[in-house]
Amino acid sequence: MISILLATLLQSDLKSAGPLAFGPDGVLFVGDAAGGAVHAIETGDTKGDPEKVKHDVQGLDAKVAAALGAQAGDIRINDLAINPATGNAFLSVSRGKGPDAAGVILKLDDAGKLSEVKGATTKAALPNLPTDKGRAEAITDLAFVDGKVIVAGLSNEEFASNLRAIPYPFKTAEAGAGVEIFHGAHGRFETKSPVRTFAIYNDHVLAAYTCTPLVRFPLESLKPGAKIKGTTVAELGNRNRPLDMIVYKQGGKDFVLMANSSRGVMKISTDGIAAAKGITEKINDKAGQTYETIDALKGVVQLDRLNKGHAVVLAGAEGGPLNLSTIALP
Amino acid sequence: MMRGLWILALAGCGAGPAISLDPLQARAEGVDTLQVYVAGAADPVLGASAREGGALVFRPRYPFLRGVPYRVVAGEVERVITLRPDDPPPPARLTRICPSADVLPENQLKFYLHFSGPMPRGELYRRVALYEGRRKVELPFLELGEELWDPENRRVTLLFDPGRVKRGLTPREQEGPALERGKSYTLVVDGAWPDVWKRPLGKDVRKTFTVGPPDETRPDPKTWAWELPTSGTREPLTLTFPEPLDAALLERVVRVEDVRGVVALEKAETVWRFTPEAPWPAGPRALLVDTVLEDLAGNNLERPFEVDVIRPTEFRLTTRTLRLPFVTK
Repeated sequence: MISILLATLLQSDLKSAGPLAFGPDGVLFVGDAAGGAVHAIETGDTKGDPEKVKHDVQGLDAKVAAALGAQAGDIRINDLAINPATGNAFLSVSRGKGPDAAGVILKLDDAGKLSEVKGATTKAALPNLPTDKGRAEAITDLAFVDGKVIVAGLSNEEFASNLRAIPYPFKTAEAGAGVEIFHGAHGRFETKSPVRTFAIYNDHVLAAYTCTPLVRFPLESLKPGAKIKGTTVAELGNRNRPLDMIVYKQGGKDFVLMANSSRGVMKISTDGIAAAKGITEKINDKAGQTYETIDALKGVVQLDRLNKGHAVVLAGAEGGPLNLSTIALP
Repeated sequence: MMRGLWILALAGCGAGPAISLDPLQARAEGVDTLQVYVAGAADPVLGASAREGGALVFRPRYPFLRGVPYRVVAGEVERVITLRPDDPPPPARLTRICPSADVLPENQLKFYLHFSGPMPRGELYRRVALYEGRRKVELPFLELGEELWDPENRRVTLLFDPGRVKRGLTPREQEGPALERGKSYTLVVDGAWPDVWKRPLGKDVRKTFTVGPPDETRPDPKTWAWELPTSGTREPLTLTFPEPLDAALLERVVRVEDVRGVVALEKAETVWRFTPEAPWPAGPRALLVDTVLEDLAGNNLERPFEVDVIRPTEFRLTTRTLRLPFVTK
């Protein structure tokens, strides 16, 4: 199950370009669902000052398409990650929408200039991905913490979720099937729960399940073959379609900022979250972490931290252009 | 302002056709580089312009797309070219919706939509709708940016929102389940949905079904009826289930050990029929079934979709693949 590959021409090896996460020293991790692997690219982007950076691009989708010799309708921006060391923005893009779509990684500097990303690359093949017939696994999110890349996957056949922790530098993808994630409702009904998006907060994973609760579980529980039941810390209500999550500090407290496709952006408190016993009973709306919806931010499809006081958002109305802008953290 | 005729050649290699300006023309025009833009765009197409044997060649980083107009600029002269589209195969059609049964459980988990040709990602959720009579059901499906396609983009998985299927969760408390027993629904797939070459599917496709009670029990191989083949023949091995099972999993995780053949599903996915490539050898055989095999409500061989942890412990499997021996007649 070991697959280590060194290639200087990254792009020819990437079969698809999905979720992104930064590691140390300018290493960018890319989830490649079509290729069944996680790639680590040494971008060489290590020097800069994110406090001095501000991103502002109207029609980023059209601009990306133009650089790739395509029209806006032929590309999809799959993820956006800001390099915390420099403030430069990195985009993972699908060029084309069919089965042969190319995966592309682009860098956007704060002058609005797009360039290709090239660099030495290693990759780890994701184990237990039966590739016969029609089964495929979508990689819904990716993060790097404590020397490991954490990958959330969702199958297109069996209703299952998995989370894998792969040590980096890559030697071998974690043996076994990773961990299965479960959700308990009313402390009684236990079901499998795919993870839609997650963020690392202190020693915990904060995950948004596809069935909508926000849960936490300790990082140390991510041992191969484990079955983890997350503790529900917030019930975010119906029509909650979480897209992206970041954690930030403000006024000495930590908050989670979550982009939701139809409900705008939610700011969720983390007061007492680590100690919270979790929501197990059906209760009134006040239980769990408090949150507010930031009405001014609508149509946000991608979100990432830029620096201490700012985030970068990619937003646009349905069918309209996607604009990249810098906002103060609310 | 055109200053002269161009001879434009497209040489195929590497990343697809390149654009080149004939050496004589390049010298005559006194140009050093070619730049290419998607017509109407301000930013140039990523690629490299270089002299190759006197000709001036632009090689795009990603292959030029057919049907997209490109503006080629050589010094002060420019020209718009469009590569003629290939002859594509016939437009894709929606060929099958699974499960094909007319009655589905209230906790139905998913639909599979099958197409005869590749489809583009990004359209799914605006091209499908669920109606109960005239009323459109609001947001019954889980909307994932990734969309759950197979590797050929010919089958897509549409999941019902688990938050409305699972008991005790806020979305279900607030909005109710998407499907209610006793009622009749229609899944409508938009005929205007384009395939990868941007041709529409054709007419809308509808699947009408009624909803029965939720299914909360695990499928159990002990309840399957077997029709055994005769050794020395290519008669099929047939399994009949008391309820429909997941079509994709039936085709992938149920197989005969060491025997190759073709699987067909019949009678609304309640029958699995395996026809061997070669006549059955004599002697004992075995059927292999992975325990991820699910029914329509996501109950698999290991556990029901929702495990009630307060009830006494249910039968729990520890193996991942069941081996069910059988003997040909």
